[in-house]
Amino acid sequence: MHDTAHDLAVQITALQKWYGAFHVLKDISLSVSRGARIVICGPSGSGKSTLIRCLNGLENYQQGTVILGGTRLGDNARDTSLARRQTGMVFQNFNLFPHLTVLSNCTLALRRVGGMARGEAESLALHHLERVRIPEQAYKYPAQLSGGQQQRVAIARALCMNPRLMLFDEPTSALDPEMIKEVLEVMTGLAHDGMTMICVTHEMGFAREVADEVVFMDQGSIVEQAAPATFFSTPNHPRARSFLNTLLH
Amino acid sequence: MSILDIWLGILEGFRVTAGITIYGLLFAIPFGLVFGVAQYLATGFVRFVVTSVIEFWRSSAVIILLFVFYYALPVIGVTLSAMTVGAMVLGLNIGGYASQAVRAGLQALDRGQKEAGQALGLSRPTILLRIELPQALVAMSPTFINHIIQLVKATSLVSLITLTDMTFRAKEISQIAYEPVPIYLSLLMAYFVACYPIALFGRWVERRVNPVREARNGI
Ligand SMILES: Nc1ncnc2c1ncn2[C@@H]1O[C@H](COP(=O)(O)OP(=O)(O)O)[C@@H](O)[C@H]1O
Ligand SMILES: [Mg+2]
Repeated sequence: MHDTAHDLAVQITALQKWYGAFHVLKDISLSVSRGARIVICGPSGSGKSTLIRCLNGLENYQQGTVILGGTRLGDNARDTSLARRQTGMVFQNFNLFPHLTVLSNCTLALRRVGGMARGEAESLALHHLERVRIPEQAYKYPAQLSGGQQQRVAIARALCMNPRLMLFDEPTSALDPEMIKEVLEVMTGLAHDGMTMICVTHEMGFAREVADEVVFMDQGSIVEQAAPATFFSTPNHPRARSFLNTLLH
Repeated sequence: MSILDIWLGILEGFRVTAGITIYGLLFAIPFGLVFGVAQYLATGFVRFVVTSVIEFWRSSAVIILLFVFYYALPVIGVTLSAMTVGAMVLGLNIGGYASQAVRAGLQALDRGQKEAGQALGLSRPTILLRIELPQALVAMSPTFINHIIQLVKATSLVSLITLTDMTFRAKEISQIAYEPVPIYLSLLMAYFVACYPIALFGRWVERRVNPVREARNGI
């Protein structure tokens, strides 16, 4: 039921952010259509995390605009909660709640934010745990799960809130190689279901297969933005080239 | 005087010792929780006020506070029972320590816990009550047990404001019997007997809490 004029899931315009004197995001503009899959990559410290954290109000910014699902976000509690209702976020370190079972991790926000009854919340949570293929772990605690399983729970927990946009901040960087695949498979499944996704990741296989567009950041700027085939075969910018070289070696 | 007489004599003070401890906890627990959380959340002037109140109760000499509240307040027309003064002063003193454990426990949590709650759209109070406090209180439970034991031992000071606790009784008996060595050794044991079950309870709590924590470290 959305306005066709607002067929953009996210529109970032001239975003500027400083940490004190440090200019961390420099004039960032980026449009993401509904259903698009964007991969953001770039050297450590280039501002990738900061950028996607501006989209759900985990960071504020000094200049520029962020339009999410047609609504321009201001720096106030109402807009922040609006942004958080529309987005789901998956962190590098999972950030599951260790004192709650897998199921309670998933139902907490459904019950406290959505005001859903327990039974309804649990069946919805189980549905999403099936989607990430670990319904059998529902009554365990996060510490009893492998890293890959924990990250899949974190994805299910975010999906429970029915986000229109999923933000991933290096979801596989803390994982052992054998677990990376299972998480990427879940993310690929999500992409095929039509979820709008912005993924900070260095998994180039995933980017090639799933992304519509690769955004390369360096020192707080978007340096290059291209379809994955183009970006990986003929990167334009020398810094993109040297970054890809370091990934290959 | 037989050892049994000494023990029965000291036991007569047990009700006051236990009463001050429990009544004191009614001051200590809310104070520690509210001020610990407030110090964690507040900034600027509010934080300064909160910190000052905590420091007053934590850093003043308990024995002097007991005298001030019991003997000096009536001069300005405020009369509190010895029981109330004892419980309040000892309770808020221990509560001051407990507030620091609450704050430290909250500060020690990974920042990602709060952020995950925010990203899910949870309100700040919900994040505090459902995510941060449960983890901080569990992590700090051994410290809280220490504080309760400290409170039990500190109750011996209330004998100075006329309350007949175990220490007061021991002094009374030793004035009649002139046998300070067995009497004060018995008193020492009486406090040990009162505190040891609390220590055991603390260990039981830790064991109950630990499986999750150990598994967490195991990954
Ligand atoms: N809270 C902060 N205060 C000051 N500097 C920060 C803060 N968070 C991040 N930075 C700095 O901002 C830069 C970008 O950080 P980040 O967005 O995490 O980069 P990336 O995710 O691309 O590795 C880094 O140089 C980092 O040191
Ligand atoms: Mg990062």
